[in-house]
Amino acid sequence: MDIRVLQPSDIPHVQLANITNLPENYFCKYYLYHALSWPQLSYVAVDLSHSSGSPGEPPKIVGYVLAKMEEEPTDGVQHGHITSLSVMRTHRRLGLAEKLMRQSQKAMVEAFGAKYVSLHVRVSNKAALHLYRDTLQFEVDKVEDKYYADGENAYSMRKDLTFLEEVESESEGEGEGKAEDVGIDGDVPKGGEKKKKKSGMKKFKLGRALGVADLQEVDGRAA
Amino acid sequence: MPQAPLASKDGSLFRQVLKCYETKQYKKGLKAAEQILRKNPKHGETLAMKGLITNSLGRTEEAFAIAKEALRHDMKSHVCWHVYGLLYRSEKNFEESIKAYKMALRFEPESQQILRDLALLQVQMRDYPGYVESRGKILQGRPQLRQNWTGLAVAYHLAGSYAEAENVLKKYEETLKNPPSKGDIEHSEACLYRNVVIAESGDIARALEHLESIAKVSLDKISVMEYRADYLLRLDRKEEAEKAYRALLERNSEKRQYYNGLEQSIGIDPEDRKPMKAIYDEFAEKNPRSDAPRRIPLDFLEGEDFKQAADVYLQKLLKKGVPSTFANIKALYAGTAKRETILELVEGYLASMGTEEAPTNGETNGNKPKPSDFKLWTLYFLTQHYDHYRTRNTTKASEYLNRALELSPGTVELHMTQARIYKHSGDLQKAMEKMNQARELDTKDRYINTKCAKYQLRNDRNEDALKTMSLFTRFLTKRNGVKNDAHGGPLGDLLEMQCVWFITEDGESYLRQGNLGLALKRFHAMLKIFDDWTEDQFDFHSFSLRKGQIRAYVTMLRWEDTLRSHPFFVRAALGAIKVYTMLHDRPHLAHSLLSNGNGEGPDFEGMSPADRKKALKKAKREQQKAQDKAAELAAKAKEDKAKNAQVASADGEMKKEDTDPLGISLAQTKEPLEVAMKFLTPLLELSSKRVEVQCAGFDVYLRRKKWLLALKCLIAAREIEKENPVVHEQTIRFRRAVDSLAEEDVKEPSREVLTAELETILPKETDLKSYNEEFLNSHKDSPQHVRGALRARHLLSPEDANIAGELANTLSLAHLSLKEAIEGQTLLKDLKADNKDYNQKASEKFPDAAAFQTAA
Ligand SMILES: CC(C)(COP(=O)(O)OP(=O)(O)OC[C@H]1O[C@@H](n2cnc3c(N)ncnc32)[C@H](O)[C@@H]1OP(=O)(O)O)[C@@H](O)C(=O)NCCC(=O)NCCS
Repeated sequence: MDIRVLQPSDIPHVQLANITNLPENYFCKYYLYHALSWPQLSYVAVDLSHSSGSPGEPPKIVGYVLAKMEEEPTDGVQHGHITSLSVMRTHRRLGLAEKLMRQSQKAMVEAFGAKYVSLHVRVSNKAALHLYRDTLQFEVDKVEDKYYADGENAYSMRKDLTFLEEVESESEGEGEGKAEDVGIDGDVPKGGEKKKKKSGMKKFKLGRALGVADLQEVDGRAA
Repeated sequence: MPQAPLASKDGSLFRQVLKCYETKQYKKGLKAAEQILRKNPKHGETLAMKGLITNSLGRTEEAFAIAKEALRHDMKSHVCWHVYGLLYRSEKNFEESIKAYKMALRFEPESQQILRDLALLQVQMRDYPGYVESRGKILQGRPQLRQNWTGLAVAYHLAGSYAEAENVLKKYEETLKNPPSKGDIEHSEACLYRNVVIAESGDIARALEHLESIAKVSLDKISVMEYRADYLLRLDRKEEAEKAYRALLERNSEKRQYYNGLEQSIGIDPEDRKPMKAIYDEFAEKNPRSDAPRRIPLDFLEGEDFKQAADVYLQKLLKKGVPSTFANIKALYAGTAKRETILELVEGYLASMGTEEAPTNGETNGNKPKPSDFKLWTLYFLTQHYDHYRTRNTTKASEYLNRALELSPGTVELHMTQARIYKHSGDLQKAMEKMNQARELDTKDRYINTKCAKYQLRNDRNEDALKTMSLFTRFLTKRNGVKNDAHGGPLGDLLEMQCVWFITEDGESYLRQGNLGLALKRFHAMLKIFDDWTEDQFDFHSFSLRKGQIRAYVTMLRWEDTLRSHPFFVRAALGAIKVYTMLHDRPHLAHSLLSNGNGEGPDFEGMSPADRKKALKKAKREQQKAQDKAAELAAKAKEDKAKNAQVASADGEMKKEDTDPLGISLAQTKEPLEVAMKFLTPLLELSSKRVEVQCAGFDVYLRRKKWLLALKCLIAAREIEKENPVVHEQTIRFRRAVDSLAEEDVKEPSREVLTAELETILPKETDLKSYNEEFLNSHKDSPQHVRGALRARHLLSPEDANIAGELANTLSLAHLSLKEAIEGQTLLKDLKADNKDYNQKASEKFPDAAAFQTAA
């Protein structure tokens, strides 16, 4: 099982994995939106033994993490968000979800200067809670009442990522002094820039023909 | 001459119209436009805007009429032409739209808005020279925006002009006075994009040099590292490449490509990878939770080395209790020696465990220790081993499974596997029931829910499957206590969420049942999904330039170019083509809507003309009834929708109502083969290397009497797989068809080409019967080849073909699979041959297979 960055050509199989494993589903365009806005952040787990078939056969995706940066963080702090994560039941307990998450988190810090990563999870989802809390050291931020369409509550969880910044600065080599701080700070959009981006986003219509409302409904909602 | 300008009051009204349009206040905009027109009924641009707004309100035809009138009054207005282009664009008639934009530009050559609209269509249509031109003009007009430079570079890049592309990117960089801040992702991406352009131009040395110059400011660390390693390897700088791949593996030790790169840079002989073992061990040690460095050596180790490594690997996973252990190693089953070793090892674990943990006499006391995971998953592994198609032994599989179930009756995986074993034995009913039991053990897990629905579809229980699916679709789950199925219920949701697996399986199931209308309905839904995916890229042509993630954008474009080579498309398209050829051959099948459960509608062909007439009438009546009922349901849904305002889509766009939910009109098409081309054309274009695609092409072209095109498919198919049984049959079929062609059927010079080409494939004087028998004799051991030859035999001499007798012989082949046996049965059905003996013999070989019991 390989772990690598998600490519646009993976999307049909990622979509298949998503709708096989989770009730929160998205149309292709929403995956494209992730893959083309933050191409560094989403990862897939691939079963290579399957792609021995005919040439050009797309690889079989057995797990994925779909991740983004929060576009307009209400707290003003750059941070990542996990939109969706799942692994096919046939490939669970191999450590795939954990590895997908770790790769994504590192990229959030490096490419976008994320300070933390957030997600939502059903309060009844034991496996995912174990993964987030025990293995990945997420903390419960708050409970969101009736977050899911069927009325279930969600834990809003988050994990501080600043520890990765230090790792980064160490491995990046000496001589730059505190340059890494500058780097991270530089990533926070300046006032004007932020505004520009915002209006850009407003104009951009993403909701297939279904309209933006559908998108907003799924937007920001984790698996 | 353009029209005279409006008086100032009307002028400001006109600006209001524009504003209303932009802010989607259509009603208000329309009012204002009409107010202007009252005084100036012939004002072209106002009319144009009225047309545009009318279109946004969903009245397309009217909109076109108004826009045309606008043009009549003001042929030289760029607004009128621009609007005309926008209307065509909204109809997805991009060619006409481009023409109109170009007219608009004649009168307003510098308009950024029109240039942008034109450019979007050009890139969507892959008109790269045109795109370069438009992008160049856009840049000229607004050189201060970085995205305009990038846009032109992308245009050059796509057009294959690497030097120009790079030059544009470089020029922009040179205009930067201060180095961008370190966190500037747009800049970082632009630099990396430039690097990709250099590399794609083939100058790897320079690409590497450039990469090193930007490495520090690049925020996408992995890409830098990957490019570097790749370039170094391609430049044969092995030592540095090795270092680079090691660095990558430090970051991610689960990527085969890195290990491959490492092996190549070390100079490992692909035929003798044993020396790599030590290196894999090194990475395994460094990454205790890593799988790849432990698993990969199993691919290349042999003999005792393999046994040792496999032992360590299997024990680690089984002891941890990883249910997916078998999935991880089954690729090794291609080699006999390895799978025997694996079996020996795992049986060994079981033997050494003894029996102490099985609760032998029923009741156990409360504080019994949790059964050992090791034992449980070992038993589970052995079950899967004996259910694998290469090592199948259903009895043994069930034995191990039962022992595992005794240990842990509530483990979902065990029940799922039991269902699979039933499926493999051909008992689809039991398989489905068992999978449903498994589902009930874990109703919160959608994966098992999905599996259950799939098994229901395999057993042609379409409605049950949908019901199962509905437990997880959005619109049947209660929202605020209200059941909300206004969007067409669960099926509507599955279509909307592009649930390709369900749509395809549902369609195939209907095809099996002879319900060609619904089969087509589903396959067309797949066609639509792929059309949507093509269209989805549209918004990103501008979005990505703003976002600056250019590499990802270009990768996306290239993927879109070959989108329909995706197996999801191929599968559905082949299904649709099959239906259309059936409908061409036997048009009455369009009426056998109501399947009677054994995969056939009423047997119209076997009836007397009078009976047939009656039966057809009855079928049509029933169809009508079904259609009415469906229409009624649709009407009701619409009503609910109206009541339920929150469902109306946000921008007021109305979804078109489905007037043919059962696919009845689809199936009753007068030109099935022409419609089939919608599916066939992309297949032949993008999946020409698949033999089944060429065969499908032949099937369609032969029926359409497109002799040369059929020939082309035949030649292509023979190049891919000359001995393919379908190709064999088609070759004979084609020879016969061409031999009986009349003079006027094919004119010169086509005729000469046809005759000459076919002569080299299968000479005219060949005795087809003995040619076919020869093929049969040399492939007696392959059921599918026997079937191909028998189809040909039936074609050559339908009377004394002895199909059933010959086919029954294949049932004695030891390796005959259930699937093949069923395909044999299908052949007999197709040829209307007697299948009693065949079914009898087959049911002895596959006692649980339902197929051979119910079929008469
Ligand atoms: C949650 C999910 C993604 C975990 O994927 P996975 O690849 O099996 O997880 P991993 O193997 O990486 O597990 C890492 C850790 O998570 C915990 N964990 C995972 N599955 C668990 C389970 N079923 N029970 C208890 N803990 C579990 C364990 O602590 C595990 O570490 P360990 O193996 O060393 O004990 C997977 O179960 C899934 O796809 N579920 C359905 C979809 C879903 O719920 N997604 C998450 C929505 S927020």
